[in-house]
Amino acid sequence: MNEPATTHVAQAGTLESMDCLVSITGAGARAIEISGSSAARFKGAIEKKIGEVLDTLSAKPVKVTVQDNGAIDVVLGARVEAAYRRFERGPSA
Amino acid sequence: MAINAVGRDIPSHIEGYGDTTNRLFAGAFARIPEGNRDGGKIRAHGPKENGKLLSGIREAIAASGLKSGMTVSFHHHLRNGDYVVGQVIDACAEMGIRDLTLFPTALFGVHKAIIPHIKSGVIRRIMGSVNGPIGQLVSEGGMEVPVVLRSHGGRPRAVVSGDVHIDVAFIAAPTADRAGNISGREGKSACGAIGYAFTDAQYADCVVAITDNLQPYPIAPISIPGIYVDYVVQVESIGDPAGIVSGTTRVTRDPLRLLIAKYASKLIEASPYFMDGISFQTGAGGIPLAVTAYMKEAMMRHDIRASFGLGGITGYFVELLREGLVEKLMDVQSFDLDAVKSIATDPRHIEISADWYANPWNCGAAVNSLDVVILGATEVDTDFNANVNTEADGALLHGTGGHQDTAAGAKLTIIAQPLLRGRIPCVTDRVHSVTTPGEVVDAIVTEFGVTINPRRQDLIDACKEAKGKDAVPLVPIDELYARARKMSGPMEPVAQGDRIIGVIEWRDGTVIDVVRQLA
Repeated sequence: MNEPATTHVAQAGTLESMDCLVSITGAGARAIEISGSSAARFKGAIEKKIGEVLDTLSAKPVKVTVQDNGAIDVVLGARVEAAYRRFERGPSA
Repeated sequence: MAINAVGRDIPSHIEGYGDTTNRLFAGAFARIPEGNRDGGKIRAHGPKENGKLLSGIREAIAASGLKSGMTVSFHHHLRNGDYVVGQVIDACAEMGIRDLTLFPTALFGVHKAIIPHIKSGVIRRIMGSVNGPIGQLVSEGGMEVPVVLRSHGGRPRAVVSGDVHIDVAFIAAPTADRAGNISGREGKSACGAIGYAFTDAQYADCVVAITDNLQPYPIAPISIPGIYVDYVVQVESIGDPAGIVSGTTRVTRDPLRLLIAKYASKLIEASPYFMDGISFQTGAGGIPLAVTAYMKEAMMRHDIRASFGLGGITGYFVELLREGLVEKLMDVQSFDLDAVKSIATDPRHIEISADWYANPWNCGAAVNSLDVVILGATEVDTDFNANVNTEADGALLHGTGGHQDTAAGAKLTIIAQPLLRGRIPCVTDRVHSVTTPGEVVDAIVTEFGVTINPRRQDLIDACKEAKGKDAVPLVPIDELYARARKMSGPMEPVAQGDRIIGVIEWRDGTVIDVVRQLA
């Protein structure tokens, strides 16, 4: 049996302008899904930043979904970190 | 392929547009016209032919002689409330007319209703701005023939010079009489000025007025006289008043935009143009309106009066007129209810045509007398080239409007914009498409200060002379670009194919850039 933490979704952020909503859930391998206004020109940069944050946190494999509304890197990084820490705390948190 | 004067590679032949060899953008004032004006068919309605009134749009289309493959024109003063384009194209489709060239002054979201007619081949080509859903369709390759984008002045130039010949002009008429005299000032669909329709009325082979307010002959005042109008049709409604005029235009309360407006106002105050008789155009955007508010304070402080306000007119400009801070308004398009009421009642509020407003090929358009214009842009680059046509993802979603014309005409052209919109930088090293060349853009104003085009050393000097509370914070363009790039990170290129879906003409009819299909 997998531990229950892999089945819940943790979120951080908002859909306000210059912010993003990051959702993280358990997965067999790391996966990143991006939608929103910046995706057309910043997909690579957004993926890179998410990867860096998850690596820094020595994250286990997760699926990260970003609904972006124009967040710059520092905002995105903070949202991913918050979402991951909430994810790690488990569904009761 | 050949490189034009803003460094863009333009194919020597564009399928569905034509040869560009003699039509490459060569500089803002490089192309000189030759020959005579073009014109519409001569008609003679004698005293015994008083039958201009027809029973419906289909009857008018039949009477006009409109056939497949012809060019039909429309004006956009009913904006997002317009019912006329939809009614006419629906009728054309029912009558089996196909392959039309649609030549509107602009299209809005409401016109997405004609998308089925684009797909079915009733409309084969669009020459005019394609805002919103039609722009998205075109960007994704939904039309076989590229859209041609012209400025408010470039469009009448194209008509007057014969680049575009209008077979039938359909004019939405908020008020009309049986002789075809037209006014936009009154009626349930009142829109104020109808300046964009004038040239079409004067140069089309056939002109049809469509009204929902038929009044006894003669109406007064008259904007477009019936001598140009062949037929008059009365319909239930030409538009939705809620989409035609906005209520009250409000100045932005966003502190970032107010700061930008404040810097722009400081630049204007420091410029040599801030004196009695100054003229300006500020449009209806949030930042430009706030600039007007700051300018009002400054004008009162220095006891200065403006000679005229130009362009699309808002209630804010009307307030300046009433308070005596602006002597006259020259109005090609009335944006809100206050502007509509003012043009209907105040003789100092003058209606002008698009030709008069902005055409580079006449004996002097109003933009030539303009001191200051505040504009926006999707992006500007380190050469001060501005893009207003395509979005960050490369989609062709916006018309050119008066951007090119006012920038070319005004002594001080200011683009006021936050440095980033979301993550997308508004200052780049190379704009995706060029609408207006850097040679006619004098300053970029962002929340970081005022960035002046290095070719305007006189303005840089004037700003440096302003001290104390009038000081203007100057930021060199390279520093501004570096700041934007640092915040946004490097951008990936737009994912696009080779096929050209849009041609952006400079106001003189030369090709300044092309837009390619999204990948």
